[in-house]
Amino acid sequence: MEKSVNAIIPGLCARVVVNEGDKVSAGQEVAVINCMKTEISVTSEWNGTVKSVLSKEWDELEVGTPMVMLAVTGTDT
Amino acid sequence: MLKVINGGIETLVEDWPGRLGYLGKGMAPSGAFDNVALGFANLLVGNPPGEAGLEVTGGFFQGEFHTDTVIAVTGTDMQPKINGEAIPMWESVAVKKGDLITFSHIGEFGFRCYVGIAGGIDVPAYLGSKSTCIFGSYGGFEGRKLQAGDEVKFAVPQGKLTDLVGRKLKKEAIPEYSREWVLRAVPGTNTSPDYATEEGMDYLFSHSFKIQHTSNRSAYRLQELPTSFFARSDGGVGGSHPSNILDHAYAMRGALNICGNTPVLLIADGPTLGGYMCALSVINADLWKVGQGTPGRDFIKFQICSQHEAVQARLDQKNLFTEDAVV
Repeated sequence: MEKSVNAIIPGLCARVVVNEGDKVSAGQEVAVINCMKTEISVTSEWNGTVKSVLSKEWDELEVGTPMVMLAVTGTDT
Repeated sequence: MLKVINGGIETLVEDWPGRLGYLGKGMAPSGAFDNVALGFANLLVGNPPGEAGLEVTGGFFQGEFHTDTVIAVTGTDMQPKINGEAIPMWESVAVKKGDLITFSHIGEFGFRCYVGIAGGIDVPAYLGSKSTCIFGSYGGFEGRKLQAGDEVKFAVPQGKLTDLVGRKLKKEAIPEYSREWVLRAVPGTNTSPDYATEEGMDYLFSHSFKIQHTSNRSAYRLQELPTSFFARSDGGVGGSHPSNILDHAYAMRGALNICGNTPVLLIADGPTLGGYMCALSVINADLWKVGQGTPGRDFIKFQICSQHEAVQARLDQKNLFTEDAVV
C-alpha cells in the first residue's frame, strides 16, 4: 500500500531529509517546511520505505501537497 | 488546568488590546492577532472580550483538561475534537476533567483559531497584559509558545458553568473569511508626492498582494512593488534605496513599511521604529483580518478609507461583543 506524507502548512520546502529506499518509522521527520521564518517538521504517520521523493528545496507547498511517497505494508501500519 | 500534549506549530496566550503604552521603550503591543475571533470566543464563555485565550496558529495543538470547564473555539476551522469527536465552532462546549482536545491543520479559510476558556487564562499580567511577545520572550506563558508538558491554569469563571454551555454565535455575527482580505487603510506619513508617485499610490490601493511565507507575528511581508512606485531615486541622507528615510517611529499596529521594494505590514510583535517609509496605516477595526491571512496562500488588498470611517468602524467593532450576538 502507498501512503503520501503531505505538507501540513503552506510554505516553502526547506528540505526532504529522506532518500528513496530509506526505511522510516512512524513519528520520524521526513521533511521540513519554511513558514513564518520558522522551520516546521513534517513527520510520517506510518512505518514504511521511501518509494519516491516528491518535493525539493524552494517548492511552494499548500496544505496537503504530497512531499514523500511511502510503501507501507499491512504489518507496517 | 490544561496540560499540553503537543504545542502544535505555534500556540500562544494572547489577550486584547495587548500591552499598550510602551512603544517608546521599543515594546510592541502584542495581543491577539485576530481580536474579533478572540472576542467572540470570550463572549461565548462569559468572559470580557479582551480576556486571555489561546491563539492556535497553523494547527496541531493537543491538550488534556484537568478540570471541568466550558470552552469556545472560533477562527479558522482546524477541525477541533474532544476525545476524537468533532465539536462545533463559534459555540460554547462543556469539557470534563480528562478530556483530550485536538486540532488538525488550518481550514480552507483563515490561519488562526482561538480557544476561549471560562474565566480566562491565569498567567501573570506583565506591564498590564497577559499577551505573549514571542520575539521579546516576555508575557503570556513564560514568554514563549506552549510546548508538551506545560500546565496552563485557568482563572475563576464568571457565573455557573452550566449557564455558559450551548451559547451559540448568531450566524450573521460570524465574521466573513476569504482568501483575499480587504483592509481599509488611511494614507501614511510617507506618500505622494514626496516619497511615492501618484501612480505608485494608485497601484498600492488597487492591486492584490500575495502574503509571503516569511510572514509572522512581527510582520506580514507582501509581494514586491514596482520601482515606479517611488518618487525618489534614492533615500538621500536616509540611505541608498528610495524606501530609506531617517529613523522615525512606526504607527504600530497596522503601518505599512516599504522595505526595499517589499511592502511589510507591521503588526502584533513588530518593530516600533526604523528607517523605512510608511505608505499607509491599516485601520484598527481591520487588523483582525491580517491575523487570518495565510502566508503563502492568501492575498491582501488595500482600500482607502477616511479617518472618520476608521473611528466609526472601531466603535462598531467594540459593539460586536454583546449578548445580541448570541443565540
